[in-house]
Amino acid sequence: MGITQILFWVLSILALLSAILVVISKNPVHSVLWLIAVFIAISGHYILLNAQFLAIVNLIVYAGAIMVLFLFVFMLMNLNSDTEPQKNKWLKIAGVVAGGSLLLVLVAALKQADMKGQLAEMNKGDIGLIKNLGMVLFQDYVVPFEISSVLFLSAMVGVVVIGKKD
Amino acid sequence: MNAIIISALWGIIMMFSGIVTSKGSALRNAAVLGLLLLLTGNYLDLIGYHFFPVDVHKMLFFDSFGLLANTIIFGATLIYVLLSGREIENIAARMPVAECFALIFFVLCGVSLVTTFNTLLMLFIGIEIISIPLYILTGSDKRNLKSNEAALKYFLMGSFSTGLMLLGIALLYGASATGTFSIDDLGVGKANLSALYISGLLLLLVAMGFKVSAAPFHFWTPDVYDGAPTVFTSFMATIVKAGIFIGFIRLFDETFSDSQARWQLFVAIITAVTLFIGNITAVFQQSVKRMLAYSSIAQAGFMLLALLSINGLAKEGILLYAAAYSLATIGIFAVLIKMKDYTFEGFNGLAKHHPVLAATCTIFLLSLAGIPLTAGFFAKYYMLAAVIETGHFLWLVIFAVLCAAVSVYYYFRVIQAMYFKDGDAQALELRPGFKGLLVVVAALILLLGVFPQVVLDRLHGLVYTW
Repeated sequence: MGITQILFWVLSILALLSAILVVISKNPVHSVLWLIAVFIAISGHYILLNAQFLAIVNLIVYAGAIMVLFLFVFMLMNLNSDTEPQKNKWLKIAGVVAGGSLLLVLVAALKQADMKGQLAEMNKGDIGLIKNLGMVLFQDYVVPFEISSVLFLSAMVGVVVIGKKD
Repeated sequence: MNAIIISALWGIIMMFSGIVTSKGSALRNAAVLGLLLLLTGNYLDLIGYHFFPVDVHKMLFFDSFGLLANTIIFGATLIYVLLSGREIENIAARMPVAECFALIFFVLCGVSLVTTFNTLLMLFIGIEIISIPLYILTGSDKRNLKSNEAALKYFLMGSFSTGLMLLGIALLYGASATGTFSIDDLGVGKANLSALYISGLLLLLVAMGFKVSAAPFHFWTPDVYDGAPTVFTSFMATIVKAGIFIGFIRLFDETFSDSQARWQLFVAIITAVTLFIGNITAVFQQSVKRMLAYSSIAQAGFMLLALLSINGLAKEGILLYAAAYSLATIGIFAVLIKMKDYTFEGFNGLAKHHPVLAATCTIFLLSLAGIPLTAGFFAKYYMLAAVIETGHFLWLVIFAVLCAAVSVYYYFRVIQAMYFKDGDAQALELRPGFKGLLVVVAALILLLGVFPQVVLDRLHGLVYTW
């Protein structure tokens, strides 16, 4: 068992364990902290796949920005066990059934999918390197790249409209 | 490409014009100028003059179907701004009018992406450029709790459906042999439909169904349309909905038409449910604005018939439907904004006090109900004819006709209130220009209804040569 394989197993177990802890933690702040662990483990996986750019972006955007947003929301909502709403039992069951059905469909779909021969390339492959990504982004995908600026611009205008003092 | 670039640029110009002036009329004129530019640019694109020779790497494909749809949508927006643009200032005190117009132009940029996309990536960006300004426009009446609620609801549900859409796109990407987002290459034959492909297709169908408020994904529609400022409800219910529908049909026509037999029944059921829920619930509404929200669900049901039976008639029909529906709904909303009371009682006796308003309103309602001699009749006729041409789903045609009959009831309730009930309907002050424009819009609807061949012949040629 090489170092890559050991790392893979460690990261996978870390990711799965943390993901389970996200769901079962009673305290939402703990959930968020475990979620950060999940993201770090997944970033590790990206590095194993030689996708450094994705790994860093995952850390910056998810573990950084989005987690801060989560914590902000918790802080503003002041969540604790006293304010937790009592959920209806039937609602819970309905949620489980609906979510379970979706899971079943997706698992069935993935089981049938033919993934042989498309196994991850460990330690080789340079698609994920920043240089190659930049080449693709500014040649083939330059139109969507430029047009997404309209999206960000409209979001910024929106912030002004919503946030401006009357 | 002309339309995309001009709309984005004019959005930026509108955004900065807020520095120069905060006068509503100047900004409105600038917006009208921009729309005229857009229309001309788009028309020149249609006849072969491209201002911006950009290599789009097959990300976009400018065919006459998409460009014609753009023309209809920009024309409808022009009429919308002329009729209701003034009301944007009246939503709240110190309304940021320039920014609102900027957002409207950005939405138009998104719409012109959605009508001409060639990869799922562009579809996604287009849908997002449409959605994000709409969330903001919905919540632009900041002091109004209903507006806030609507914006938050729309935002949460909309983000969720966007997530489903991305998941669908990812699954389709995984299902394609070569790893591609291009809608031409994603269309595989009937034979090798993997489960991955079908899951992706269904998720895309659900996500797009949400955006056009097809049942059972319509739950956001009544609350959002009711809560949003009426000016923006009018914009959302007509221009945006028509634009997304064009994209919906384009997607299913280019990508999934080979596997049509597999998803057709599913779409037929969605259509039937949409027609049923939209029409039946509209009957029980007390507020005209909420009734129009449900009516827009019902009309979406009719437009879904084009999706069901993707063929030449359906593509012609959806353009005609988009035009007829947008004109009539923009007109009726323009009248509604002028009313003091949005309930049915608020329309009592409108004909005595404001005969022009009542008469044009009647024409709009007749067109929405699909009465002959109005544009709505031919639009509905084309939808039904398209389904009949496929040779299946006769039950759905009959069901759709029955639902259209139900719709007559709630549309005529407004007409009845205006003409046959006594009351003193209160309307805000009306300018002669507004009345004149209403008459022009009503005349357009009648013209499309009496001489449909004027438009249809040209449409026929353009859609079939595509």
